[in-house]
Amino acid sequence: MNPSRRPTYLAAALVALGLCLPAAAQEEIKIGVIYPLTGAAASTGLELKNAAQLAADLINGTDRSLNLPLAGAGGLPKLKGAKLKLVFADHQGSPQVGATEAERLITQEKVAALSGCYFSSVTTTASQTAERYGVPFLNGESSSPQLTQRGFKWFFRTTPHDELFVQNAFEFLRDLEKKKGLKPRRIAILAENTEFGTGAAKLQEKYAKEGGYEIVEKVLYPPKSTQLTSEVQKLKAARPDIVMQSSYLGDAILSMKTYKELGFVPTALVANNAGFNDSEFLKTMGKDGDFVISREVWALDLAARKPVIAKANELLRARHQVDFNGNSARAFTAIFALAEAINRAGSTKPEDIQKALRETNIPADQLIMPWGGIQFDETGQNRKGAGIIIQVQGGQKVTVWPFDLAGKDVIWPFPSWDKR
Amino acid sequence: MSRRAKLVWLAAALVALLFPLVAARPTWQNTAILMLMTAQMGVAWNILGGYAGQVSLGHAAFFGAGAYVSTLLSIKLGLSPWLGMVAGAGVSAGLSLLVGWPCFRLKGHYFAMATIAVGEIVQAVVNGWEFLGGAVGFYLPLQEKGFWGFVFNRSKLPYYYIALGLLAFSLLVNWAVARSRTGYYLRAIKDEPDAARSLGVSLTRYKQTAMVISSALAAMGGTLYAQKELFIDPGSTLSTSLSIKMALAAIMGGVGTLAGPVVGAVVLTAIEEASRVAFGGTGRGTDLVVYGGLIVVIAVFQPAGILGLFASRRGPARAAPAEAPAKEAA
Repeated sequence: MNPSRRPTYLAAALVALGLCLPAAAQEEIKIGVIYPLTGAAASTGLELKNAAQLAADLINGTDRSLNLPLAGAGGLPKLKGAKLKLVFADHQGSPQVGATEAERLITQEKVAALSGCYFSSVTTTASQTAERYGVPFLNGESSSPQLTQRGFKWFFRTTPHDELFVQNAFEFLRDLEKKKGLKPRRIAILAENTEFGTGAAKLQEKYAKEGGYEIVEKVLYPPKSTQLTSEVQKLKAARPDIVMQSSYLGDAILSMKTYKELGFVPTALVANNAGFNDSEFLKTMGKDGDFVISREVWALDLAARKPVIAKANELLRARHQVDFNGNSARAFTAIFALAEAINRAGSTKPEDIQKALRETNIPADQLIMPWGGIQFDETGQNRKGAGIIIQVQGGQKVTVWPFDLAGKDVIWPFPSWDKR
Repeated sequence: MSRRAKLVWLAAALVALLFPLVAARPTWQNTAILMLMTAQMGVAWNILGGYAGQVSLGHAAFFGAGAYVSTLLSIKLGLSPWLGMVAGAGVSAGLSLLVGWPCFRLKGHYFAMATIAVGEIVQAVVNGWEFLGGAVGFYLPLQEKGFWGFVFNRSKLPYYYIALGLLAFSLLVNWAVARSRTGYYLRAIKDEPDAARSLGVSLTRYKQTAMVISSALAAMGGTLYAQKELFIDPGSTLSTSLSIKMALAAIMGGVGTLAGPVVGAVVLTAIEEASRVAFGGTGRGTDLVVYGGLIVVIAVFQPAGILGLFASRRGPARAAPAEAPAKEAA
């Protein structure tokens, strides 16, 4: 019992000190941040951690040149300039460890709010713990739609979820029709047959039906296939305008090689992130990877339209020699959203922060994301989130939709293999 | 059991019963629950892996069966998870018959390898089977439901005492098996399979008996996991790393002994939690290095398990399990 008592005395002494010196009462606001810092996703976890820390340092610092909420405020002004302190924890990719760490951060570290956890499965259990204790949990980068369908009162999510990403692809097609008079109608779906691919295919069918498109073929294949010849022949026979494809890296590469081999040329190949957005895909495919269209959460060339992206990216590069990517940009944004709400609440009481989060309304120009802003609906989901559509042009990923954020015009149709 | 052993068990039970009342911090209680759950898994594994000497590295399949059966029954039919726990144990025992029939034709390392394959196959099947939630898994609603509903939000104490009760039940089963005729057969099969067979002991039948009991207990642990975490997916309830953890608790504590898995689980969980709290936030994996290093140290210096430390005073480490028959004979 002795070791536990010592901090109590210390805390009592600190409280007493705080009563005497109200100005020094609150110097730190702790936020618990849980990421996969070891295991298969450790490198991603570290990127997320670095981005989140950069966000906190910008808020605690005095550089006012970035147009982000509270950047350069030197702490949280409405909390007497209290500094933001991120307490990081590692969930190792395990939902049980995530819940354990969430509880430790809440009860031992006394964090005002939690953020994380990248893996949807871990976000699930860690946010349950937060819900039990009545502590706000802001998730910035997990995309499973179910997370905001649980009726939780303390859970908020800034990133759009998977369903919205699929919806984006159809909005892109609709805009093409409206603004460029292109009318692709026949869609073929090619998807790997585990959760990711089948889930996406189901949503694509739903939105195709609503949008009046015709699904001319739907092919599911096992993700570790060593050949896709018969699958591609089926696609080719269906003569689709658009192929909507959900594949992991290996099969994305294999399918592209097979398209070339069999001379299959749809009007456009609209991929659903994953394998097609892996940097390894472009390295392996070289020129043959060109003209692929894919959905993305973020792209560096957005900086052309949003100068704040370039500035933030410079800072991250200076520290860690890497650029932002879709994951780290979202982690960065989550910390700003959380800090902005805590500051507006002017208190670290969970109820006050929860109320402030419900009233959050951050405009689009104060974000490094291609979103319409941050405003939560009653389920805690950011209703203004949006994805972007990129196209590989000359070996580079460029933003082609939404048109007002586009770096370049979309190249349509997909040129045939012999004319490249 | 010797008088001393009885006293130690009694003291341990008393400490376990009173612990959460003294240690009110939720994180301590949570760590204690993790210890009890790991110990229960280790005890379940030990019946097959320790007493019968059949090292299974696919026991997560049985743990997962318990988690999935109770969760499915609760979500789809609204049945109480307590009934689900019994059903899960039954399904798991049935599954173990299916697995045992081909796998028990293999001996030693080959059996262990086959069980790894079984574990992986079950995980792959569940990953791709939409009825079983696929790769996404299942969410259980976060609502206080009381004892019969098996969801407790307000306090950790119910989970603690349920975990303790389940561990006590598993130990009781283990104790009963160990002193029964089957228990002697299992040890004979482990040490001298050929001699056992020449005396008319059916190897397959008794190995299978051990596996049925072991897998049913593992499944009960799975149900408790599902009800505590309220979320299951193949990665967290069917992974090979979970199978290894079950084996590790038993092997570190002292394989083929009643108390071994409990001691192993307490030490393992303590190291795991303490190293993560101390180093986990650094992002350099220091905690796992410390965790792995300590396991290696124990394995090198105390290959008979931590319990061997205490047994060695009275003779060789193996003396502990052999003690019971000696007494019986007297």
